[in-house]
Amino acid sequence: MKDEMDNVPPVRVRSEDAVASIHRRRVLQGVGALAASALLNPLARAQAGRFDGKQLVYVSWGGVYQDFQKKSYCDPFAKETGARIIQDGPVNEAKIRSMVAAGGNPDWNVIDVTDTFLFNGTAHNLFEKLDFSIVNKSMVEPAYVTDYGIGTCAWSYNVAYNTKAFGVGKGPKTWADLFDVKRFPGKRMFRNRVYATLEIALLADGVEPSKLYPLDVNRALKKLDTIKDHITWWTTPSQSQQLIVDGAVSCGVIQNGRAYDASRKGAPIAIEWAQNLQSVDYLVILKGTKNLDVAMHLVNRSIQPDAQAMFSNNTAYSPVNPAAFSRIDKAISPWLATQKDNVAKGVILNAAWWQDKLEALDASWNAWRLS
Amino acid sequence: MKPGCIWRTLRGAVCLFVALYMLVPIAIVVVISFSSGQFLSFPPPGFSLQWYRALNDPAWTSSLATSVEVMIPAALLSTCLGLGAALMLQREGLPGAPLIRGVLLSPLVIPVIITGAAFYSVFRPLGLHGTILGLIVAHTVLCIPYALTTITSSLAMVDWRIAQASASLGARPFTTFRRVTFPSISSGVISSFLFSLVVSFDEVVVSMFVSGPDARPVTVQMWSNIRGDVDPTIAALASVLFVFALLILLLEAIFGRGEATEQ
Amino acid sequence: MAAVVRLMRRSDWLGVPAVLLVLGMFAWPVVSFLAKSVTDPHVGLQNFVSVATDSVYAKVLSNTVVISATTTIFTLLLGYPVAYTIARASGRRRRLMIFVVLIPFWTSLLVRTFSWMILLQPHGVINSLLLASGLIEHPLELIFNRTGLFIAMVQMQLPFLIFPLFNVLSKIDDAYMRASANLGASPFTTFWRVYFPLSMPGIVAGSMLVFVTSLGYFVTPALLGGLRDMMVAQLIDEQVADIGTWGVPAALSVILLCGTAMIFLIIKRATGATRKGARR
Repeated sequence: MKDEMDNVPPVRVRSEDAVASIHRRRVLQGVGALAASALLNPLARAQAGRFDGKQLVYVSWGGVYQDFQKKSYCDPFAKETGARIIQDGPVNEAKIRSMVAAGGNPDWNVIDVTDTFLFNGTAHNLFEKLDFSIVNKSMVEPAYVTDYGIGTCAWSYNVAYNTKAFGVGKGPKTWADLFDVKRFPGKRMFRNRVYATLEIALLADGVEPSKLYPLDVNRALKKLDTIKDHITWWTTPSQSQQLIVDGAVSCGVIQNGRAYDASRKGAPIAIEWAQNLQSVDYLVILKGTKNLDVAMHLVNRSIQPDAQAMFSNNTAYSPVNPAAFSRIDKAISPWLATQKDNVAKGVILNAAWWQDKLEALDASWNAWRLS
Repeated sequence: MKPGCIWRTLRGAVCLFVALYMLVPIAIVVVISFSSGQFLSFPPPGFSLQWYRALNDPAWTSSLATSVEVMIPAALLSTCLGLGAALMLQREGLPGAPLIRGVLLSPLVIPVIITGAAFYSVFRPLGLHGTILGLIVAHTVLCIPYALTTITSSLAMVDWRIAQASASLGARPFTTFRRVTFPSISSGVISSFLFSLVVSFDEVVVSMFVSGPDARPVTVQMWSNIRGDVDPTIAALASVLFVFALLILLLEAIFGRGEATEQ
Repeated sequence: MAAVVRLMRRSDWLGVPAVLLVLGMFAWPVVSFLAKSVTDPHVGLQNFVSVATDSVYAKVLSNTVVISATTTIFTLLLGYPVAYTIARASGRRRRLMIFVVLIPFWTSLLVRTFSWMILLQPHGVINSLLLASGLIEHPLELIFNRTGLFIAMVQMQLPFLIFPLFNVLSKIDDAYMRASANLGASPFTTFWRVYFPLSMPGIVAGSMLVFVTSLGYFVTPALLGGLRDMMVAQLIDEQVADIGTWGVPAALSVILLCGTAMIFLIIKRATGATRKGARR
């Protein structure tokens, strides 16, 4: 597979000040764009004060990710409508289940959830059905729209490597390379989660992306067995950054946003886009939410091109709204999962397929992990 | 060399090892907190106060304040309640004593995620979820087992004959307690207070269930931060707390009375 | 109810607030969650059957017990000499030692875990020092395995053993030791047959605390342990969060509870005979 993107250099080391000024420029760009859209968008003006006194709790994954979601979605929404959006988190699936089980108006209203939790939660009746007369689903790629949740940002699992270990452009390029400990020695890192790990193993074993599902679990586990002793498992995304930065692993699986963040801060990391596994975070509304119309409008606000672009420009998490691409910084474009070239090489993870299988596969996965 | 000498040397070596074992991880954290780099790396590339400046954020300061507002009442309450329970369980012939002790110690055994969900389910109808009071109640329950175990082992060392003598000389039960029993167990009570402070301060999972935007302890803030960002902000936070603890203990050393030793 | 109140002595009332709080706020809701072990997804014992027959659960439970017991033993081996030294010291030296033991307390669990990652990984501080001094040729595997897990867990648990133990040791009457020496016993015999049995309440209290709290650890094994070291709380967390089942997690919790209760009873029987002092 010929690959022109092969030689995208990792973002070079920048001094703190340069990074800060770039961010300032982006934030100003974003603010400028928002101001322009607010002035030009009659709908925005009409909404001013519409939800005065109404309150919602927005929950996400904390850190810089949530900070920018707040700046890109929640703050503009609050300013335009007078609603009060309170931030909380981090997302805690067990707490979400308890909340809905307790009934009444839940403490959390709009939540950024993983694709697997979207499907699991839908099956467990945790979410409100989206009102598509408010939430403009035509703005979002159809693959990322479901009845109970709509995509908020896209990202991918990529092959990553430490440029000090292999040299820029000379590291593993495909999942199969990750399984080749002779050509690419050193420990490799994988996420301690069955979802996506099985897909990676199968792709490494030569399975065609179109024939990936239903997953051949035994084949995947057998493939993983070949390098089991060379794997370091990470649980939180921050660990994946730390492992590469420390040189504790030479290569492995990482999320593109994490890699971008590490690279921006000067870490010797590079990623490859071949066979990247595409995934999406969804915004959902918890069942029983009182200010339902406010919630629907907030969700709708988050998929607008300006909000999507602002978030992407700052985090390298990709827009789900194709119209946002016209506002994306050239410099950050190569890092985005839904950038045209990257999507072409990508394989979309089929979270829907996992919905019923997770419980059953969990048993095999646990048995394998403990063996 | 006399055998006594060998044991003493060995004991000294173990103590030195434990001292290093305790201190080195903390020393690393303090050094990293002054890092000019963007990652948790050791040795740090250079010196900077940027992470301390990063702490000057309302999210951190208010969560620290919340933690303090929760841990002090929780530690006080759990120590008092634990003391009462330990004294009650002292009595011979108390019906159902093992069961009562079991119930009081059960918060230690039940997995935290079930504990968290359980608290949430009982706090919701009472309106305690997401409040400081709710956090205090939850943390008190979690600390009672520590208080109970520590004080019970202290009570085991009390010479009851003196207490009996005091009673037979006409002292009322409370006076006996105040002037005979309590001084013997005072170090146990102080230990259990300190334990409870730390257990409450360090509590992550249950706090996540019971906290809310207005009542968010620093552990929840740290967990939220650590999942996504991996920078020395938390190292700066840990160093601040370490210095704070150092100051308290230094003050105690300067102004505190000497420990009352037996015999 | 009135009969119960009549039977209570004055000192019994002291414990009532604690009992009421724990029963009302904790025991009651927890029992309803534990009941899910026989009601979720349908009524019956199928969750317990799954736990008993699936080797994964057996492995995880045995991991949990073995890791907790080993942690307790290491903690005891390291902590006893330290508690002994603190008990023998006085004044300033004692306070200094207490301070040193208390330090990890104030730096939260999460921070310490990341600190261990930096210390223990292949290019970390410890390996670099060992390599530089020539003691080893290849970096030692000190993290993401049981070794790293023990290193981190023992450090976290030491204060919980040292303090109850130290409280007890500081109250042991010197007169017993002097009497034993006067009667001709060697220092070792004095220690082993007089001092050590007298310190039992502290050993038992500290060890039980360390053992029971170790059973519930899951952040540390998740971040520092190996795949094969998975402990039961991690499994419970994954199942509740990712899959949404409460039945098996509840069954595992019931098993933990019963197992711990049994261990408590066994220890109580075993040490009941050595309990000193007359009761009121």
